[in-house]
Amino acid sequence: MPGANTTLSYVNEIARLTRGSWLNYADRRKMRVAMLGWEFPPFASGGLGVHCYELTRKLAEMGVQIDFYMPRCRERPRSLHPNLRIIEVDATTVNPYSGAKTQQLRETYGWSLFDAVASYNRLAVECVLAEIEKGAYYNVVHNHDWLTVAAAGELKMRQGLPLVFTVHSTEYDRASVPWDRLLSVERQGIAQADRVITVSNRMRERLMQMGAPDWKVRVIYNAVNGELYDKYDAWREKNRKIVLFLGRMVEQKGPMQFLYAAKKVSGRVPEARFVMAGTGDMLPQLISKSIELGLQDKVIFTGYLSEDEQRKAYAGSDVYVMPSVSEPFGITALEAMASGTPLIISKSSGVGEIVKNVLQVDFWDVDELSAKLIALLKYPALRREMSKEELKEVRKFTWSTTAAKTLEVYKEVAR
Amino acid sequence: MPDICMYFQVHQPMRLRKFAIFGHNEEAWHERYFDAAKNRQIMEKVAEKCYRPTNRLLLELIDKYNGAFRVSFSLTGVFMEQCREYAPDVLESFAELYKTGSVEFLSETYYHSLASLFADKQEFAEQVKMHAKSLRDAGIEPSRVFRNTEALYSNEIGRLIESMGYEAAISEGWDHYLGWRSPNFVYRAKGEEGKRNLKLLLRNYKLSDDLSYRFSARWWPEYPLTADKYASWLAAAQGQCVNLFMDYETFGEHQWADTGIFEFLRHMPGEVLKHKNLEFSLPSEVVGKHAPADEVDIPHALTWADMERDTSAWLGNDMQRECFRMLENAAEQVKASGDDAAQHAWRLLQNSDHLYYLCTKSLADGDVHKYFSPYQNPYDGFINFMNILQDFREKIGRSA
Repeated sequence: MPGANTTLSYVNEIARLTRGSWLNYADRRKMRVAMLGWEFPPFASGGLGVHCYELTRKLAEMGVQIDFYMPRCRERPRSLHPNLRIIEVDATTVNPYSGAKTQQLRETYGWSLFDAVASYNRLAVECVLAEIEKGAYYNVVHNHDWLTVAAAGELKMRQGLPLVFTVHSTEYDRASVPWDRLLSVERQGIAQADRVITVSNRMRERLMQMGAPDWKVRVIYNAVNGELYDKYDAWREKNRKIVLFLGRMVEQKGPMQFLYAAKKVSGRVPEARFVMAGTGDMLPQLISKSIELGLQDKVIFTGYLSEDEQRKAYAGSDVYVMPSVSEPFGITALEAMASGTPLIISKSSGVGEIVKNVLQVDFWDVDELSAKLIALLKYPALRREMSKEELKEVRKFTWSTTAAKTLEVYKEVAR
Repeated sequence: MPDICMYFQVHQPMRLRKFAIFGHNEEAWHERYFDAAKNRQIMEKVAEKCYRPTNRLLLELIDKYNGAFRVSFSLTGVFMEQCREYAPDVLESFAELYKTGSVEFLSETYYHSLASLFADKQEFAEQVKMHAKSLRDAGIEPSRVFRNTEALYSNEIGRLIESMGYEAAISEGWDHYLGWRSPNFVYRAKGEEGKRNLKLLLRNYKLSDDLSYRFSARWWPEYPLTADKYASWLAAAQGQCVNLFMDYETFGEHQWADTGIFEFLRHMPGEVLKHKNLEFSLPSEVVGKHAPADEVDIPHALTWADMERDTSAWLGNDMQRECFRMLENAAEQVKASGDDAAQHAWRLLQNSDHLYYLCTKSLADGDVHKYFSPYQNPYDGFINFMNILQDFREKIGRSA
């Protein structure tokens, strides 16, 4: 019977088109995302890792199916939701964002960082294709930062998958002398993506300077999971006159301005102590500077802090300072707010576009930073009021909102 | 036949300098804390946008309606002081309005302060006297009707005002105290067994805000507000008086000229007078004419600000209360120093606006606070104000 035969081949054709799965065909309205990442807690060193962790969790809860591809590392990340699969790509354990390491890599190995990234990207593409072969269906590919640009481009070319590209920072924000080669990868990432998500309006402007058309860019702010910080409220024993800096010790984060302010503040509030938490290539220079300024008894360098230690540091400080020269967003500001710690942030930060109950300074204005620090240390009423109001305000910035807005972007381009 | 009783508040605070804690200046008191350049600039701007054109228009209207159109003002001493310094013609034009006989000027504190809340009431009394003197110097006789800063009133303040010989006080017609009663009546202050004579004129906040706040609001179903529509609302009002109290800066400053606010004002008296049951009256005429309808008990501080209508716009948070305490506690040292310039600076710092900028109420009212504030946020405002207050305390301590 020729008719039956034709029907059968038609059915076969559909089965082939739907990657052999009737279930997939029936369930196509569900959003399925292949997300290409680099870091994921517990193996994370910055905002990118936190962002991916919280975003994938909330998206999964909203019914989005996510396959999160990332390099295999020593510690195994764990999925917290059945809709989220973490697929580790055997590639490398290089972390290009952990300051000292990057610098070392650049100096010692030259282009080998690129080799590591290139091999991860190659293997990531193979992994995604293998999953597709096994029957996975994706509506969209979502990649983060320059590290995953090559793989995303390859997948778009070979499978025609729509791309969403999130830019957490650009080379301009990370290095005082930007690397041309990285900039060109970032430009390519912007060009090939169907939509570009970024974390603030100041970043949107930067991306537009880098060639992104206005219609392509969506600003979606980061958030903070306040519950993680509520547990530390016993540490919020205040009036210890402790001022905290927490971040990589690199020029972009402004640690030197922090030291100069510490010097000025010590003149007026001798009992103040300045905690500098984090590591980075400027650390040796900062230590000798603190001695040169006669601050050896006032400044405490803690080195790297675990998440738990970070939360204790926020809660135990009277003031948090984020004096960044350039800060695409600045998640630590929200973390300090969630800890009820009054804070002073640089005007050159994305988070400054959305928060109200903070003090803002120009990063270069050491006098103004010092004056604000002195006021915070001297006037308990100011600390109490800021703490109270910021704890109220920070509840507005939830990852559910970030995830919901991200899903809207997926819907704009999903196939 | 309700009287239309209009009263406009005229005030410009003396703006503070950004106080540099690392500067080691030994300037005189005034230059040390106040920003003369900015005060001049704001005064000149508002004079041009509001005071001059509105005074001119009012004079014209009073002339045109031959005394049937009547309005009252309250000028703060701080405002008059800045007029004398930066725009003397503005103060003269107010005096000219006074000479028509159709304009009344209410009494208040010279410094637009919250001194009525100080434990020692002497300071308040002195500021009220200073205000009266300042008005008389401009050729204006102050009214026997009192308007406390931001319409701040309570039974206690009422007793104080009455003891100073005033006939009536202005405050807010707030439902919380009025209950089912309408603000469109003259009321009697609460006292022991009818011993009290102080009368109260309470603001009709709905009809006042229709003009001062909602006039140009496109979200408002009544937009655009025309003079005849507004007059018809007034004509529909029941009672003895409709008290329309608002900032004078409504005309040309809060509501810019291009909203049509001046056209509205030009036509409003004529439209109102078309209604046979309406006439314009001055506050002292209203309280002279009508017997109080009832007694109102106002045990807690009542003001015309924000949704709360209490003192929370100025004293709602720790930062504000801390500054207020600092101000109050300095009184003795200031008096002891015998330094007039220091005393004037201290009193200018009592300007309620400096506390208003420190308000952290985050809802809709926050926007109003922000609109008026020269600071990026209340915390910056607190730092600057507190730095100044601390400096003042140290400096007066050294000189005493």
